[in-house]
Amino acid sequence: MFDFDATLPLMAIQFLLLVVVLDKVFYKPFGKTLDDRSEYVRSKRLGSQERLDQSKKMAEQYEAELAETRKRAQSIVATAQSEAQKLASAQMAEAQQEAQGQREAVQGEIDQQKRSAMATLDGQVDQLSNQILEKLLSTAR
Amino acid sequence: MDPIVSAASVLAAALAIGLAAIGPGIGQGNASGQAVAGIARQPEAEGKIRGTLLLTLAFMESLTIYGLVIALVLLFANPFA
Amino acid sequence: MATLMMPNLLNFSNILPLAELEVGHHFYWHLGGLSLHGQVFLTSWFVIGILLIASVLAGRDRTMIPAGLQNFMEYVLEFIRDLAKNQLGEKEYRPWVPFIGTLFLFIFVSNWSGALLPWKVIQLPEGELAAPTGDINTTVALALLTSLAYFYAGFRKRGLGYFAKYIEPTPILLPIAILEDFTKPLSLSFRLFGNILADELVVAVLVLLVPLFVPVPVMMLGLFTSAIQALVFATLAGAYIHEALEGHGEEDH
Repeated sequence: MFDFDATLPLMAIQFLLLVVVLDKVFYKPFGKTLDDRSEYVRSKRLGSQERLDQSKKMAEQYEAELAETRKRAQSIVATAQSEAQKLASAQMAEAQQEAQGQREAVQGEIDQQKRSAMATLDGQVDQLSNQILEKLLSTAR
Repeated sequence: MDPIVSAASVLAAALAIGLAAIGPGIGQGNASGQAVAGIARQPEAEGKIRGTLLLTLAFMESLTIYGLVIALVLLFANPFA
Repeated sequence: MATLMMPNLLNFSNILPLAELEVGHHFYWHLGGLSLHGQVFLTSWFVIGILLIASVLAGRDRTMIPAGLQNFMEYVLEFIRDLAKNQLGEKEYRPWVPFIGTLFLFIFVSNWSGALLPWKVIQLPEGELAAPTGDINTTVALALLTSLAYFYAGFRKRGLGYFAKYIEPTPILLPIAILEDFTKPLSLSFRLFGNILADELVVAVLVLLVPLFVPVPVMMLGLFTSAIQALVFATLAGAYIHEALEGHGEEDH
């Protein structure tokens, strides 16, 4: 069981050869693959991080622009509204004034007609009362 | 082989493996108990504790194995036979 | 010499031809004046073949998005890198990945091939095929290589100043420090060898007693221990190399 012989040194040499050969076919290429992959992943992650930051920044910018645009739109809407309001109220006032004027004119006409009618009536009343008076006087005499 | 030598060798082999099992047995019991206590206290560290425990158990086990090697030498490669 | 000591078990094995218990028999090859354990080399070539074929097949056309075998081998490499990184630290681990990784892969595949493959079906003139790590020559070779590796690591990092670690706290500990250099490979090799051999023996004895089903849980345990032993060997090799690189580090058995 404990018989040492030439197996020992030959096994050692064989093992060292195995180390060298495995280093050639296993450790070096596979280690390179692993390192390459971790490097690749690292760089990709760095790049994607950068891109993520960039896109976040861009989104923020868009957001700001959007807010500004919205504000502007709101102000435009407000000015338009106020202008329209003003216009409408001005037109309304004009129309009212016109209506008022027409009404006043009509009223004046009516008044005049009334006055002329009154005057005619007054004349007629005078004439009638004169006639009545004459008639009365004539009969009395 | 001299019968006295063979009788002594067999006895010595039995004693070697038996005595060599005592100390590591106690040690492994201690280590396992401590590991269980550790796991009970910190269940999240179970994986790490188990790995270390297995390694240490292997180290203790090797002490018994030394006794076994001596026993095997006495039985199969007795230098006095 | 083993058969003399266990007559009863061998009598059993005459009834069950598939279940034999042989310890210490080798299939000797003679190379010049040297004798070799042929069965160890046969199985180790098998293991080396598996490793090489797997790496070559997986590495034929590597893609950025791995699939199939490439994915598996990349998982293996990442596991090994983590192991080495945990022991040696982020800065130093890269040049030692091939050594530690090959230790782990060779031992792991050897152990599992011994536990999973029915080697005993193939008859050899003498001895039987088993895991290469169940032979003391293999484990001592690996352990001595580990020793050389950590000496080399210490020398290359710190030159002759590496020897200062022997008298670093006090020169009184010099004998212990020197002894440590011997106990490290000894414990490494005996741990691996003893575990694998013990697994095989336990399974063989159980198969002798009850040939069916009963040995299966023990075989499962054997698979588990084999994997852990491969991990332990690689981890300890890493720890020793780290200790040599760092100088007066913590002791770890």
